[in-house]
Amino acid sequence: MASELIPAAECAVPPAPTFSIPDLNRVPGNHGIWVGIFCVLVEFLLFFTVYFVAKAHHPEAFLKGPEQLATVAGTTITMLLLTSGYCVVKAVAAMRADRQATTLRWLLLGMFLGLGYPLVKFFEIRWNVAHGIDGEAGIFYTVYYYLTLNHLVHVFWGLLGLGWVATRTAVGGYSARDYAGLEAAAVYWHTTDVIWLIIFPFFYVWR
Amino acid sequence: MKLGHTEKIWLILIGLTLSSAFLAETGQRSWSLSLIVAAMIAFKGRLVIDHYMEMRNANRRIRRVLHAFVTVIPLMVVITHAFGPQIARLTAL
Repeated sequence: MASELIPAAECAVPPAPTFSIPDLNRVPGNHGIWVGIFCVLVEFLLFFTVYFVAKAHHPEAFLKGPEQLATVAGTTITMLLLTSGYCVVKAVAAMRADRQATTLRWLLLGMFLGLGYPLVKFFEIRWNVAHGIDGEAGIFYTVYYYLTLNHLVHVFWGLLGLGWVATRTAVGGYSARDYAGLEAAAVYWHTTDVIWLIIFPFFYVWR
Repeated sequence: MKLGHTEKIWLILIGLTLSSAFLAETGQRSWSLSLIVAAMIAFKGRLVIDHYMEMRNANRRIRRVLHAFVTVIPLMVVITHAFGPQIARLTAL
């Protein structure tokens, strides 16, 4: 019998992980997602360097530029992303409690709010173009389109990731003992939050 | 109704975002605006990293890299405000 050959300690089902006690070696999600996240951070560090250099060269364009943009669009996107991020935090917490149906509901709500970002962006760009703000309207707007559209691409990857883990959750692919994939999608999604929290003041607030 | 930890973090983030939107309407270049923008990026970034990503209870090295990211960018905000013309001279082709 297999159970006679395997020591009792190895047969025991490992306890569901809890995070009330810090584990300072724990890697949330998996190692692969962190390679991707660090690549994204390096990529945006380069983009932000371009922003700083452009701002240093054209201070007047960066003083006037934000006045022409719709602050309400930037603020709405920020609130959508932060609230979507909140839903994803709740989804991970629900999975830790082995509540798959609750996890799925939070994930779907998070995706729904996340999809609001491209929708607001669509109307923002339409409004911009109607007011003569296209990619050739000046250096500020060139950098604005370059950074915000690049961020939007990363948000699409994040939404695809959330869609994948929502599907896996729906078919019972995760449990309180194995949800690394869900957590990987969550940390990537929150990374897009961190990047946007820098982009928002750069184009809508700072002069 | 008692708010949970995640709800409190979300409320702080939303409150700071709405404050930023109010600041956006000032339309003035000033040291105070640059310092507020730098502080907002550093503080909001840390809130997301530590509480949304749960890094305060996870791998120290990864957390340090993420914190470095939301420290370097605010520093660059301050440096660009203080030394804009010098940066322009140094980076002129």
